[in-house]
Amino acid sequence: MSAIKLTNINKFFGHKASRVHVLRDINFTAEAGELSLVIGPSGSGKSTFLTIAGGLQTPNSGQVELDQQPLYALTAKQRDNLRLNKIGFILQAYNLLPYLTVREQFSLAERVKKQGNLTSSALETLLEQLGIAEFQHQYPAELSGGQKQRVAIARALYTNPEIVLADEPTAALDSERVKEVGQLLADLAKSQHKAIVVVTHDLRLRDYADQVYEILDGKISKTA
Amino acid sequence: MFLALKEIKHEKLRYSLIIAMIVLISYLIFILTSLALGLARENTNAIESWNIQRIALSQDANVSLSQSLLTKQQVPAKLSGHEAYIGQVPVVAKASGEPKTSAQFIGLQSQQFIAKNMQLAAGHKPTTNQEVVVDTSFKNAGYHLGQKIRLSSTSQQFKIVGFINNAKINIAPIVYGTLTAWRSLKNVGPNLVASAIVSQTSHFSQKNDDLKYYSTKQFINKLPGYSAQNSTFAFMIGFLMIISLIVIAVFLYILTVQKLQNYAVLRAQGIPAKTLVGATISQAMILVISGLIIGTALTALTALAMPANVPMTFDLPILGAVALGLVVTGIIGALFPTRMILRVDPVSVIGG
Ligand SMILES: Nc1ncnc2c1ncn2[C@@H]1O[C@H](COP(=O)(O)OP(=O)(O)O)[C@@H](O)[C@H]1O
Ligand SMILES: [Mg+2]
Repeated sequence: MSAIKLTNINKFFGHKASRVHVLRDINFTAEAGELSLVIGPSGSGKSTFLTIAGGLQTPNSGQVELDQQPLYALTAKQRDNLRLNKIGFILQAYNLLPYLTVREQFSLAERVKKQGNLTSSALETLLEQLGIAEFQHQYPAELSGGQKQRVAIARALYTNPEIVLADEPTAALDSERVKEVGQLLADLAKSQHKAIVVVTHDLRLRDYADQVYEILDGKISKTA
Repeated sequence: MFLALKEIKHEKLRYSLIIAMIVLISYLIFILTSLALGLARENTNAIESWNIQRIALSQDANVSLSQSLLTKQQVPAKLSGHEAYIGQVPVVAKASGEPKTSAQFIGLQSQQFIAKNMQLAAGHKPTTNQEVVVDTSFKNAGYHLGQKIRLSSTSQQFKIVGFINNAKINIAPIVYGTLTAWRSLKNVGPNLVASAIVSQTSHFSQKNDDLKYYSTKQFINKLPGYSAQNSTFAFMIGFLMIISLIVIAVFLYILTVQKLQNYAVLRAQGIPAKTLVGATISQAMILVISGLIIGTALTALTALAMPANVPMTFDLPILGAVALGLVVTGIIGALFPTRMILRVDPVSVIGG
């Protein structure tokens, strides 16, 4: 049983002459307990792929299932709810709220999702693993790009989601941090049985992945 | 509320400026409302104290008390206990050592209900044709009981025997005297009885082609300048409300535009739109209500500092209604950016 299953996904943007075929017959599965990596160059359709897998936009054809539940049969509200409870997004634009301290960034999700979030000791451990525990009471403006990125990673993991979808999570990190984040994501997949999907052009993450896919011009293929 | 408060605390300068705008607008609206009310009261105070329902004027007076004159032949032979004559004439009051004061002389018949029901603040009611009771504004201007005054250019002297509160008609203080005194000030013969007949009952009328009957409301609305003044104030206050709506809407709009990216990410995480809309609306509420509290405090200080002769009435229910109007304005202002939040597309911040 796959945590995420995409079947024959096609996605077009634009109309008539300017119509572009961004995703072509995508078939993809991700399993709980595994870190799946989708590698491709800029413009290959990675972000589009990830947003469709996470229920943020609708494909023109094909099926997305999370835990065998067809995603696009749900109402928009039900999908909101599903994202809040089951999916953690780590996005390229981390967009932390500038008027909340690092610690307060988590409390918003806590207000909406009352149960199943990380305990404060688990959060403490996570922040330490990410090397941002000492910045808890600082505002995003006081952090470097890499630190902000790690706060965004912690924010996605705070709700303890079954599925983590990450878009270029290492874009702002130096090699040392890339290793740490790669290891952290791989460990999370194993130890907490999460399905983690990372789309990236960062080849350095290859070493931590259980499954590696390549995406090129909207076509996805598994590499050995 | 959580997001709204955190943001206001973090961006103190920005939000203080917005609150300052709301303070100024609400202060201006409160003061204008009080001034409008004060002036309106100075037009109608005396009429309201008479407690009348209807007024009869000459057919041709065009609802103007000063244009109306009733002869013996035009009025009923005998008035019931619910009716009274009033004789009105504008006068200038003079006393040696005091400033000249424009006033309205109102002549009354001492047996009729207006004179009978009159509540004085000091002194007694006129007992002779040379005695008058005057509005307390005379007292505030330095006049005292027993003082002799001259009215208009007549050589006749009148003696102030009483003061009465809130005796104002058409923004002028009233000098109450007898109908006989009115006749001599108006320079008319004994055949003329009064300017008008007023009645405590709403069905007062006589079969008489020479008289025309009006409700008190109709009469007040036709007081010279009264309606024009009220609609001028109503327009000013209305425009200020619209301006405050625009100010609040524009500020929240700009602030929301700056936050849309963040909101898009929160929506991607599954934070419901209503949480974000709630933050915007409660932010508008916090801004408007804190602005109103400071504006109210300023208004209260102004009310304390204002000299008594400035026609301002600080009426709590009316000011409360105005404040409520501003809160509603704030909510409406917050609804414009709300539409943007509802439409924000999480996909817009993903990729790049
Ligand atoms: N909303 C959109 N409208 C039109 N074209 C789009 C839109 N989103 C993405 N594209 C196009 O789809 C292609 C894939 O984009 P994207 O999924 O962001 O690629 P990647 O994340 O791999 O860089 C690009 O050519 C991009 O220009
Ligand atoms: Mg991308």
